[in-house]
Amino acid sequence: MNLDFQQFIPSLPYILKGIGVTLQIVFMAGILGFVLGIILSFFKISRFKLLGWIADAYTSVFRGTPLVLQLMLIYYGSPQLIGYKIDPSTAAVLSFGLNSAAYISEIIRAGILAVDKGQSEAAMALGVPYRPAMMDIILPQAMKNILPALMNEFITLTKESAIVTVIGVTDVMRRAYIVGGEKFSYFEPILIAGLIYYIMVMILTVLGKGIERRMRRSD
Amino acid sequence: MIKLENLHKNFGKLEVLKGISTNIQDGEVVAIIGPSGSGKSTLLRCINLLEVPTDGRIMINGQDITDKGTNIMKVRQDVGMVFQHFHLFPHKTVLQNLTYAPMKVKGVSKSEAEKTGLELLEKVGLSAKAYEYPNRLSGGQKQRVAIARALAMNPDVMLFDEPTSALDPEMVKEVLDVMKNLAHTGMTMAIVTHEMGFAREVADRVLFLDGGVLVEDSSPKEFFSKPKSERARDFLQKML
Repeated sequence: MNLDFQQFIPSLPYILKGIGVTLQIVFMAGILGFVLGIILSFFKISRFKLLGWIADAYTSVFRGTPLVLQLMLIYYGSPQLIGYKIDPSTAAVLSFGLNSAAYISEIIRAGILAVDKGQSEAAMALGVPYRPAMMDIILPQAMKNILPALMNEFITLTKESAIVTVIGVTDVMRRAYIVGGEKFSYFEPILIAGLIYYIMVMILTVLGKGIERRMRRSD
Repeated sequence: MIKLENLHKNFGKLEVLKGISTNIQDGEVVAIIGPSGSGKSTLLRCINLLEVPTDGRIMINGQDITDKGTNIMKVRQDVGMVFQHFHLFPHKTVLQNLTYAPMKVKGVSKSEAEKTGLELLEKVGLSAKAYEYPNRLSGGQKQRVAIARALAMNPDVMLFDEPTSALDPEMVKEVLDVMKNLAHTGMTMAIVTHEMGFAREVADRVLFLDGGVLVEDSSPKEFFSKPKSERARDFLQKML
């Protein structure tokens, strides 16, 4: 095996620049997924059956089909849907956001339902209406259940974002692939990309552990 | 002031309350006792509408709270409740547990709520714990905080749902003492309890429930010395 990392040193800044692209997509998709996930989770625990049904159907579709298919559907389907082709990174943010909303809604729903029923009863007994009881009493406690799983979801999102390569977004993965093509040697740049993803995931993991510790202070 | 008229409650096909009628006067302390499954907790939970009665009426200060137009939240503000398992808010400090509802629901200012909260904590003997989180307290201390939390809303009535049943035996007394003091201030109280000694000493009246029916409604003296019904005699024999 002859690995020659030397020849890729000049290309390193180019590959590293992809981190910004990757992070931007993950960050925006994460926010979209989180906001939409919250809304869907409230649909799921709502008294109105129709809302629950809509949210369940949404989750079922987005979990039941491949992410790469959803990505391509949104990117290549946009001209027929809205009349013009959307930006690849916009398509990436949209598809990842919509997809992770399905998973996040399940995480939040389970987290809320795991909070002791006595908590909402205690709030009710004090005359606290549903909305503030949810915001001030139930959700802060649910966050303890939600956060670790949510961090996992963001880690998955970071890794899975590599598939934006297929629609030509120049993220870390795509750049490694391009550099490999220039030098007719793919092994090293892809290893470098792997290391970059691993470090990003490790940072997220440490971050998640830190937040989790903070939340457990009152236990 | 609290008037129950022919109160029924069904859970699906199960008939838990089969037509309960009674009154609780201002300042009266009523002990609700009976075997488990007799419907005593359900009866108590109907009074602040944690359970919605299937049929019958509940009047509080002349207002029919079972009426559709009634603002349930408003009713609950005036009816304090203490649970068997405390249900303190674990992510809030003891003082925050006391100040949350008055500030949120009644719009009391923070400084005012904290002043009242600290006064109440002093009354239940827990001033030193004001800035601790509930998980640092013993069961008895938690229940005293829960009582103070309910009192912070300045309710007209206090409901207690087996307040000492989840406590270690040595902590029962400190909670009962707080309740006794509260009874002496003239608070109207309804207490579901298995503490017969406490019921006999503190209650003005005893309601004995069995199978969803109000079997006896009498003074503690009468109830404990010469119960009228066979079932109450049976029950007391097992308890004492």
